[in-house]
Amino acid sequence: MNLPEFLKSRQEVDSDLFLHPMILAYQSVVLAGYRSLIDLPQTVTLLRQLTLNADAADKPLFDLKSGVGIPMNDPGEREVLNAIADGQMLIYSDISDRCMRLVPVSRTLSRSIESPTTENVVRGAISAFNEELDTNIGLIKQSMPTEKLQMQSYALGRDQRRRIVLLYVKGKIHERLLQSISQKIESLPEKDIPDLQALSDLLGFSKWTIITRYNTTEIPQEAASALAAGKVVLLLDRFPFALTLPILLSDMFVSQSDRNVPALLQLSLLVLRVLGVLLSILLPGLYVALVSVNPEVLRIEIALSIAGSRVDVPYPALVETLLLLLVLELTFESAVRLPKTIGPTITMVGGIILGQAVVQAKLVSNVLIIILAASTIANFAVIGVQNTMSIRIYKYLLLILSSMFGLLGLFVGIVVICAYLGHVNTFGIPYLSRWKAGRRYG
Amino acid sequence: MRKCRLLRMALFPLMFAATMALSGCWDIKDINHRSLPIVMGVKQTGQKYKVLLLIPEVSRSEMNIKIISESGITINAILDEINKSLESKLDLLHLKVIIFERPVAEMGLAQSIESFMRSRDIPNKTFAAISDGTLEPLFDKLGASSQGGGTQLYNFFEKNAGWSPEVVQTRIWEVYRSIDSYTRDVAIPSIKPGRTTTIESTGAAVIKNGRMVGSIDSEESLLYNLFKGIGTQGKIEVMDRATVKIVADRLTLSSTLREDQATINAQLNLKVTVLETVGDPSNVEIKQEIDEQLSSRFDTMLRAAQAKEADILGMGQFFRNKLSREELQHWRSKYYPSMKIKFKVHVIIQDEGQLKIR
Repeated sequence: MNLPEFLKSRQEVDSDLFLHPMILAYQSVVLAGYRSLIDLPQTVTLLRQLTLNADAADKPLFDLKSGVGIPMNDPGEREVLNAIADGQMLIYSDISDRCMRLVPVSRTLSRSIESPTTENVVRGAISAFNEELDTNIGLIKQSMPTEKLQMQSYALGRDQRRRIVLLYVKGKIHERLLQSISQKIESLPEKDIPDLQALSDLLGFSKWTIITRYNTTEIPQEAASALAAGKVVLLLDRFPFALTLPILLSDMFVSQSDRNVPALLQLSLLVLRVLGVLLSILLPGLYVALVSVNPEVLRIEIALSIAGSRVDVPYPALVETLLLLLVLELTFESAVRLPKTIGPTITMVGGIILGQAVVQAKLVSNVLIIILAASTIANFAVIGVQNTMSIRIYKYLLLILSSMFGLLGLFVGIVVICAYLGHVNTFGIPYLSRWKAGRRYG
Repeated sequence: MRKCRLLRMALFPLMFAATMALSGCWDIKDINHRSLPIVMGVKQTGQKYKVLLLIPEVSRSEMNIKIISESGITINAILDEINKSLESKLDLLHLKVIIFERPVAEMGLAQSIESFMRSRDIPNKTFAAISDGTLEPLFDKLGASSQGGGTQLYNFFEKNAGWSPEVVQTRIWEVYRSIDSYTRDVAIPSIKPGRTTTIESTGAAVIKNGRMVGSIDSEESLLYNLFKGIGTQGKIEVMDRATVKIVADRLTLSSTLREDQATINAQLNLKVTVLETVGDPSNVEIKQEIDEQLSSRFDTMLRAAQAKEADILGMGQFFRNKLSREELQHWRSKYYPSMKIKFKVHVIIQDEGQLKIR
């Protein structure tokens, strides 16, 4: 292959590619690489230093021993393109067909280490992962300085290579879990992984599940504690979260940073979160069940005051609840989309709509507002954003069932949810199991 | 595999549709479309019953009371008639108190109580009460002085609200039990409209087999509650030489049956606080006075009950393991009237007030 001509023709369709002629060690060479990935002036300074050293040691430039780069002997098109797509730089001689690649000074294309954006830590380390895979690995290694931390690296995809790193702690990990995960990843090396759903497809998880089979965390400390507990951590290139496998119900309630407070407070936090989940799931269904199907369960005083608050409300309790829940869900969704500068607006408008106007317009009862506000607040008591989403779904199942069958429906719904949770497992490790490093599962 | 998946996908909408179609959820009435009566009054005029219902009328800002009455042959027929003319559905599941007029109780409660138990519309834990006078003035008083949606009468009997140890609490399942039981009768509290308060307690009616046979006064109701195990804490006993407050009580009972002579040994342990003294009584004198007062009151009550053959204290329960079923049938007529009871009161003066007693 004629390298100079190939790269010239390539430059015509890819204007980011630079071809920079210069004299190095008395030879006329051309540097090639991506402008957007390589800091050229810095790299040239580095290159000059390296060639001077090579010259002083009397080593030819295009030789491995020169220490400048790695020589490539008659490289193919694919090899060349992969090298420059990876952010490496090519040096080739105009006259002879010698060529080599080297790791240049690259541009900084990711943010610095910041505090987490989707999780908050009250007491504990607050640096979070970012998009740089190597930074993320470094962060984990720093939180876990042990030689037992081992990793396997994969590059998946045909057109776009995406790096995936699998970390585990030797001696703590279940060998069978590790084997099944690495087998799954190795089975389809050609598969593109543009998003997490594709990854979960690769790992063989069902598409129609409410519970994702991995827990995501932004905090290196959490990932390290998962590793220490014998779990597997997956890191993806350009993805600022660590995925820990397998997921367990307790991930919803217990976080590593809890360990920084005394045991009694830990326990009360745990109870509070469990209570939060129960309230969030049960309250809307309970309201509908008590108001329309089984009012005899209420105390007479509450029954009368609820009946009073519902006078003139035109819709049945179910429609009323669904109406307000819809507005609430819309508020969440738009709060995510809104720019930070106009974020407070939606809180204000939403507050006015939900708080006062909707009651005065006699569309819903004000008891319902209290119920839904409590349920919404309780929803976010759990750990992890992905967990709050599944809880939001269960609520509707209970709502529908209890609108038809009252309290009986509510309990049947709880049984259905428990049965579903009981069926979920990750590589044979049940979602509801109590995790213990070294225990046998599956 | 493919077929199985298709089947499952078809099954899900089918299940969903079936649940929707078969649930019957369109018959459900919301709470604001139900009338929730709190008090029901039952009186008898000739062969007909008359039922009065106290129904709170709710709106966003205030709560009013309406009193609805109707007469008919049976109580259920009357309720049906009321339901027909109400703008919302009559829901008796929140009924708290049923008041019978005294003549109804004297004629016998069996028919109405059995119909309440059978219909299941009315909770079994509803309180039963007997009105000394006619019902209408009582209901007018309840309606006129109601601020909390007519719950006063309920609060009057409710232990965590206005209940006091001299008031008997009897629920309709207990009345139902006494109708068929060989060994246990029941007392139903009797009330009348108060002069300054809404309701006034006038003791309790003694019910034997669902029929009122006598009455006991408030002081005797306290002993009834004591034997029922409800407790008498907070009750103030006034005697000739001292006034004491009961702070704790414990009653132990044992029974013996020898040659058809039933005997009960009862030991009542009381802890009291001295509130007031007249003159300078000693501890021993106060204790003795309490003992005498309670024992004599108890004897009077028991003798009256024995004369009526109404076992309101449920003493027969202690002989269930000593008599055969055939003999138990005759408990009220054969054994109970001649039953002896040794009632001992043991008093501990827990606190002499802030002052010393010599």
